[in-house]
Amino acid sequence: MDILSRPGRPTLILAIALTLLAVAYIGWKVTESPDQALQFTITGLNVGAVYALLALGFTLVYSTVWFFDLYYGAAAAIGAYFVFYLRAGQTTDASYDPANIGLNIALGAVVAGVTAWALHTAFFERMQGRYPPLLVRAAYLLIAVGAGGYTTILLLYPDNLHQIAAPLITLISTAVIGTVLYWALGRFGFGSTGSSRLVTIFSAVIGLVAGATAAIALAQTPESRLYISWLVSCLLAGAVSLALYRGLYAFILLRARSTLIMLVATLGVLLTITAILVMVFSNTTHPLPASFGNNLLTLGGATFKEFALFAIGSAFLGFAILWLLIRKSPLGKVIRAIGDDEQVARVVGINTTAIIAIVFFIGAMYAAFAGILTGQDIAIQPRMGLELLLKGWIASVVGGIGNLYGAILGGFLLGVVEQFGIWDIAGEWQDGVALILLIVFLSFWPRGIIPRR
Amino acid sequence: MQIRQQAISRALSQLPQALLLSLRNHLEIWATVVVVLAAASFMLSRGTGFSITLMTVFAIWAMLAVSLNLVLGYTGLLSVGHVGFYGIGAYTVAALTANPRQELLEGEIIQIFAWPFFAALPVAVALCGVVAFVVGVAFSRFRDDVYVLVSFGFAIIAYNVFVNWQWVTRGPFGIHQIPKPAIFGYTINDDLEFLVLTLAFLAIVVGISWLIVTSSFGRVLKAVREDEDAIEVFGYRSSRYKLAIWVISAMMAGLAGAMLATYTSFVDPNSFILLESILLVAIVILGGLASIWGSLLGALAFVLLEEGVRFVPFLPPEHVGQVRQIILGTLLVLLMLFRPQGVAGRFKL
Amino acid sequence: MLQTLDIEKRFGGVYAVDRLSISIPRGLITAIIGPNGSGKSTLINLLSGTLPLDGGMVVVGPKRLRIIKPFDSPNIGLTRTFQDVRLFEQISVLDNLYVVMTERSSLLSLFQRARKEHRERAERILNVVGLWEKRNDLAEELSYGQRKLLEVGRLMAMNTQIYLFDEPFAGLALHMIEVVKGVMRELQEYGRTIIFVSHNMGIVRELSDYLIVMDSGRLLAHGRPDQVLNDPAVIEAYLGN
Repeated sequence: MDILSRPGRPTLILAIALTLLAVAYIGWKVTESPDQALQFTITGLNVGAVYALLALGFTLVYSTVWFFDLYYGAAAAIGAYFVFYLRAGQTTDASYDPANIGLNIALGAVVAGVTAWALHTAFFERMQGRYPPLLVRAAYLLIAVGAGGYTTILLLYPDNLHQIAAPLITLISTAVIGTVLYWALGRFGFGSTGSSRLVTIFSAVIGLVAGATAAIALAQTPESRLYISWLVSCLLAGAVSLALYRGLYAFILLRARSTLIMLVATLGVLLTITAILVMVFSNTTHPLPASFGNNLLTLGGATFKEFALFAIGSAFLGFAILWLLIRKSPLGKVIRAIGDDEQVARVVGINTTAIIAIVFFIGAMYAAFAGILTGQDIAIQPRMGLELLLKGWIASVVGGIGNLYGAILGGFLLGVVEQFGIWDIAGEWQDGVALILLIVFLSFWPRGIIPRR
Repeated sequence: MQIRQQAISRALSQLPQALLLSLRNHLEIWATVVVVLAAASFMLSRGTGFSITLMTVFAIWAMLAVSLNLVLGYTGLLSVGHVGFYGIGAYTVAALTANPRQELLEGEIIQIFAWPFFAALPVAVALCGVVAFVVGVAFSRFRDDVYVLVSFGFAIIAYNVFVNWQWVTRGPFGIHQIPKPAIFGYTINDDLEFLVLTLAFLAIVVGISWLIVTSSFGRVLKAVREDEDAIEVFGYRSSRYKLAIWVISAMMAGLAGAMLATYTSFVDPNSFILLESILLVAIVILGGLASIWGSLLGALAFVLLEEGVRFVPFLPPEHVGQVRQIILGTLLVLLMLFRPQGVAGRFKL
Repeated sequence: MLQTLDIEKRFGGVYAVDRLSISIPRGLITAIIGPNGSGKSTLINLLSGTLPLDGGMVVVGPKRLRIIKPFDSPNIGLTRTFQDVRLFEQISVLDNLYVVMTERSSLLSLFQRARKEHRERAERILNVVGLWEKRNDLAEELSYGQRKLLEVGRLMAMNTQIYLFDEPFAGLALHMIEVVKGVMRELQEYGRTIIFVSHNMGIVRELSDYLIVMDSGRLLAHGRPDQVLNDPAVIEAYLGN
């Protein structure tokens, strides 16, 4: 980033002195009370897992489009709020029922739009020669309206979520299992020659069978509703993000003279979405329904919930998935090309708008999942989006923006530093500690721990 | 006869287009007319007391908007941290002037100064200047997106201080019983007199801002906004200019905060959340970047919007603020699409 | 007298300017030529402080400078144009000139406004570069050639001893080239030192009193234009590879 200059010698000395001071402080604290230090480390890792997930998604989006998407924070908030919305009947304050038919229909419309767009982008050119365009369009429209209606119904009966979501789960599981199987078979030498079609069909069938089994199994266990609502929320947050990019940002980008324009536009979106959240769900803090992992574990002198392990694990899983996606898949290659130079990528014939839309979808899913983890761990409130956005951004700056390793490292580091920072002072200063870390890093190591190559 | 009818019908058919063109080219005038008319009709229909309240709130927001416009519109630094200075100004006046009798925080010793308002005001403004100087030096390396985020950071740290530094700010409970301004034994209790005082301060803020932006200094600020590296080659230390305007602007925001504290006679951290700052940015951009008149217009529109939203049918009163926020957010997006300099602006982002 | 002693600039590991020592005579028009990537623009950037020196020093009159801050360059008597025209886009043409004429101190400039003498000077300059009719337009509304001329005008508004022009003729129409040439000659008449980078050999031959040829960040040849341009080494550098 050319806007950040390299530090000169005096600042470097200051930076080293600061680092030594911080290390000395932590070392002193650790020797003073190892149990407490362990406790803080584990709490820090737990919080850091959320930051790491946020930073991963943020870094992915930012290093592709190179403007600052403030909606990203709102994605985290709406992810958590959809879980609340779908599972409100199961929360501790059962009296509160936010059912809102307008919201259901609006989300249905968003999903319909996204579906129509996806079908159009993926298939229209291929279908054009073979079938009359009107027929193709009608088919898209039908499928899209179907998807939208399905979404609306899904949101309308949250108590039967596990049953209504069965087709969705079948679809997703089939896609995931089929793709993994296809890839694995190809890896071991099948499918490289003439038997390619056989392998495809085999993978699809196995995927379908496994997916359907999973869906049926889930449909019979009402406890799965919470976890299905996680999935649905992530997908919905992704869909909203995609719709915003394709329907709004892409047009502003056409005339934007500077990245500040995009920043202000996304600020407007953030304002609007936060206000809508307050209107629909009120301004108060809500708990999410209890998930698994509430048992306490002890390690040395530290106690923590099992859920912390899940959070940390999911951060690593999220990293692994994104790493595979960016480094190993053909899609990742295209995404990196766009991040390097969008103009060139477009000239080469990449449909950059479509790819960036997918990036927005994936990024928002990461944000939403981080929001859900926060909600499960603590609670949700409409302004959480902005806070999570800031933390995700700080984590990615600390780690080195545009770098996946940096994102996960920065996330965990931020979480732990925050905890150690408030050792001697009140816990409310947590945000202050994070921001001081940010300013220190921006001043001394603007490119982060692991700079983008 | 027929010819004249044809001419009329042709003129009528061209009217919408002509109106649209005029709207685009003279949006500033149209907006001024609409906003001022709306303000006048509101005031006439709702009576004197309402008018005074409306104008006082407007004056405070206008001070903030003008001060932010110096930084955002003229210097091109998108600061979302102005609420911090607003809060520092308000809290300094509150802590120095308040004389609480009933509610003392348990187990905490609270200093009571009970200064007069006009003694506390310069301290508040000066403190804002000092804080802005320190913050400005720390932020001098950052630009564009990064600047936005560190200024976000400043707003959040300031909020943290307001909530947690209970010895001075009394935390979430806030500071009550802030006296009205008094001078030479005469207390300005009357709303109208207070309005005059506030408008006088607004006039000072606008006057100083006008002097700044029309001076050579203001021209250099605009050049810094356009190309910071190029202006350095011509012998200007752009970081000094940025720092100077940042400090001046912060002091103006502090003044607005001081007026707020004595106006509401009560401050708590909820008045200084980040959201207020974002709304302020929206006001400035909406009104027009690099235009003082635009900022006044934006502030007036913002204050009117709150009243206007109350007329929306079937809207529960607790949602008024949210609807206003949605309107502002949507306007912001539309402006970025069609008019990135705002209504009366001279600078496109 | 402007002199460089062993100045260096590296980008990554590559030397853009490699221990370059040149001296530029006072009161003459000096041209710097060289193939693309030979470090001409980097040299201009180093002299004006736009890029920090990695080594060596610049001698301007009695001053020996190892560090040149961009905002110091007018103090040591230097001013420049940019290869990629850098105007202050969203302010008026007139303000683009005023801004380089007025008070440098941030405190004093608060109390200064554009005065009659500023306006008269600006009018003179704008009449020379032919932009007086456009004085109230924003700089971003000008055509490329006009922008380039405005940048030259901005240089005239600066009152310094040494003027650095980075590719002042590139992309200009013929009558505009004449205007820029005229400006350079006029500045020379007032005893100013002028340095310009150009690829246009015709103009270099016609205009320059002294010629510096750079190649790969080093000094290849220097001297009077007619001698240097007949130097076999120079001819090889241009035509050889």
